[in-house]
Amino acid sequence: MFDWIAKGGVITPFLDGVVAGTALTLAASACAFVIGVALGIVLLLARISPIAPLRSLVVLWVSLIRGTPALIHMLIAYYMVPALLNISVSPITAGIAALACNTSAYIVEILRGALGTISWGQRAAGYAMGMRTAQVWRHVLLPQMIYRSIPPLTSEFTILLKASSLMSIIAVPELATVARNATLQTDLPLQVFTITAAVYFVILFLISAASRLCERRVSRMLPHGH
Amino acid sequence: MAIDFSIVREAIPPLLEGLRVTALVSAIGIPLGVVAGIVAAYAAQSRTWLRPVALSYVELVRNIPYLILVYLSFFGLPKLGVGASAMTVAIGCTAFYTGGYFCEILRAALRSVPRGQTYAAFSLGMTFWQAQRHVIAPQMFGFITPPTTSLVIMMFKDSAIFSVMSLPEMTYQSNLLTANTFAYTEVLGTTALIYWICSVLLAGVGRRLETVIGRRTRHV
Repeated sequence: MFDWIAKGGVITPFLDGVVAGTALTLAASACAFVIGVALGIVLLLARISPIAPLRSLVVLWVSLIRGTPALIHMLIAYYMVPALLNISVSPITAGIAALACNTSAYIVEILRGALGTISWGQRAAGYAMGMRTAQVWRHVLLPQMIYRSIPPLTSEFTILLKASSLMSIIAVPELATVARNATLQTDLPLQVFTITAAVYFVILFLISAASRLCERRVSRMLPHGH
Repeated sequence: MAIDFSIVREAIPPLLEGLRVTALVSAIGIPLGVVAGIVAAYAAQSRTWLRPVALSYVELVRNIPYLILVYLSFFGLPKLGVGASAMTVAIGCTAFYTGGYFCEILRAALRSVPRGQTYAAFSLGMTFWQAQRHVIAPQMFGFITPPTTSLVIMMFKDSAIFSVMSLPEMTYQSNLLTANTFAYTEVLGTTALIYWICSVLLAGVGRRLETVIGRRTRHV
């Protein structure tokens, strides 16, 4: 079994590359997720604003992102946007931007769902205590919303991490790219992709397990969704 | 930068040709996956060795990126002496992935029907499969329609990944066009627009199905 994988050392350079590739996959995903959450909050504010055109724009954005493949988002971010704006971007920047935009459309819906579970009374109570709208958001609504959306947000993160493998299409040297190059060099696709799949599996499985744990914690702390 | 509509007009026929392949893969792969999902869901319900097998299958699908599965099948299978065309691999991957996710949807739906219903059916003298067909299944349809619509749209979109094995589907055609014309804005914009229209249409069909089923099940 071990010999089948190691193939007398041919695969060793790939194993070294896996570490760097995994690090980049994790870093890029985390980065895209943070930007995605920030973007999601901004989109949420626009989505529930009293200005109708702004609301429609967010609805259109969500529909466009959800209705097109993540792979196309990568190509648009790397080829189309730079061509339109006459700028040049590095693959990693384009990759993170594409992932962040992609995830923002899902995050805004998660946050909207979480906001829906907080009753209007809390907002009224905030105002009654003399808070301004920004303060109500900062001290009353956002903390509860983020707290309540932790389980769906973790599951969105696993989806984002899986989608990050698509960055290999625009040659970001993350895990999938490392694997693809190693196959070309060693001609051992079975071994290389099995190891790659195992690495992804372990990472994603751990995150899912953490998410389930989180979910139980949150549901215990919020016994009745008010 | 202005948009050159003559390039858009020229890009549409090959893109629609690609859409035909995309649609074919989805039309064969997704129903196969639904069957696999049904088998897996009942296997996961059983108390035999089939249960861990079905649960591992679901975990594999949920925790491995689609792209890696496609690479593993397309480049790995020939090494095992199984020669498969890109089309076969595409349909196989679609079915494999759909199956895992549909199994999860079904498992949640099966849990949503109270166990008393099964016992009531048994006490009426129904066999296991009669109970499933006449009692359990009709109640599950309303529950599974929304997530299944999302799943179908997801698998349809993710078929873009098959462009990495040069299957002539829509994204591959789009890549060919951009490689020849460098008209990224026109070609990628058109491709994205076609994907979007298809997704919106599929979502519409799903919503329509929901209302029809909602109307039906009210009488049950």
